[in-house]
Amino acid sequence: MSPLREKILSTASHLFQTQGINSTGVDTIVAAAGTTKMTLYKYFRSKENLILEVLEEGHKDFQAWLSEKLNSNTSQPSEKLQKLFDFIEEWVTSPNFRGMGFIKASAEFPSEDSPVHQLSSEQSRQFKQYISSLAHEAHIQDADGLALQLSLLFEGAVQAEQMIRGSGAMTYAKKAAKILINGAATH
Amino acid sequence: MDILNSTWLIKMLSKADATPQGRMLSLFDILDDWLNAPQLNSAMTQQTLLSNNEGKTLLIAYLTEQAIACGAANPAILAEHLVLIARNAAQQSIHHPNCGSLAHGRKAAAALILAQTPIIWSPLSLLNKPRVYGIAASLIIFLGTTILLSQAFIHNHQHQLNIAKITHLQPAKSMTADYKPKTSLTADDAATIYAKYEQMRNGTCQFPEALQIPDKDKAIYLDNVVGGKLPSDVGDLAIAKFYLEKVRCNYTPMLMAHSK
Repeated sequence: MSPLREKILSTASHLFQTQGINSTGVDTIVAAAGTTKMTLYKYFRSKENLILEVLEEGHKDFQAWLSEKLNSNTSQPSEKLQKLFDFIEEWVTSPNFRGMGFIKASAEFPSEDSPVHQLSSEQSRQFKQYISSLAHEAHIQDADGLALQLSLLFEGAVQAEQMIRGSGAMTYAKKAAKILINGAATH
Repeated sequence: MDILNSTWLIKMLSKADATPQGRMLSLFDILDDWLNAPQLNSAMTQQTLLSNNEGKTLLIAYLTEQAIACGAANPAILAEHLVLIARNAAQQSIHHPNCGSLAHGRKAAAALILAQTPIIWSPLSLLNKPRVYGIAASLIIFLGTTILLSQAFIHNHQHQLNIAKITHLQPAKSMTADYKPKTSLTADDAATIYAKYEQMRNGTCQFPEALQIPDKDKAIYLDNVVGGKLPSDVGDLAIAKFYLEKVRCNYTPMLMAHSK
């Protein structure tokens, strides 16, 4: 990736997270990135394309970070499931946390016809699928059901944290997740 | 109508259950019924559910009151989080009607309430009413059996002596004598015992006869083992765990068991 393209992406990502996607104009992005509109449109055909790329990059980074954390700190599948919320809490409570890309984007682009909304839904589904695969590995009987419960808990906690920073929602979600995981593991 | 911020919803929640926990969880049942109502305009439904929590002041205020009533550690956050789970689950239910998202959302909400509240309420209220009726029926049968047995016990001195000889159900002395009362349960304790209750609900369980339980443990046995109520402190938990070990459960599905 060219350094300028990368700069535009990281600048846009930061602005979308801190100011919101709809309220960040292309003019602001090019000014903050120190480039021109022409250059921006050379790399990204439209603002929508730029948003989609920011979302894809952000989701890839989050998934890679989480997988790396889980793989380097745990070995047993059941342990991975238990630790999942520990790491998510670590991420949510870090000073750099500005919210979850796909959750924010989904709220800002509620129309189902919007490609941004569609990508957000797909990323939410992928995350649920990831939890489900961990649950399957841990031999949880209703892995998909547990994944749905945990993803609802997680997305709700992230949204609460986005609204009220330092709310502690993720800490309670973590306790609740433990109750659900233990309950599912005994079936 | 914005269903999540309507006085109608608050009225429905208020009369849905006798406990604040039950009223909070009824949100999921009511939304499920509402979304499955015939001839409901799905576009309109979706529109009302897509708006964010900012406009949900009525519902959030009501749920905060309920959360305070059940002693939640952070009532405002619990209320916000419950509305978010309900809204997300309802949205998923619109797009994938058969995924059971509101039922799963209810389970997540029940665990969240449990994680925020002191352990003093019965997990029976987490269940749907038909299951509660089933458990209540089992409990009535169990109590009936206990009464009948107690009649036989009074009239049969020899039998009484034999029961007195049964020592394997007596908890270890150190466990009942040395515990420190009123030490709160940890989240781990609650999770473990809650999981055990959940497991038992999926089987046909035979409980030890109440007559064989020492008087000092009887209330704990009836409340926390038979009644499925979480113990209030670690001392009660230790005793409840001891008797839970004595419960014999069969988890073979009914149809399979009958086909043998």
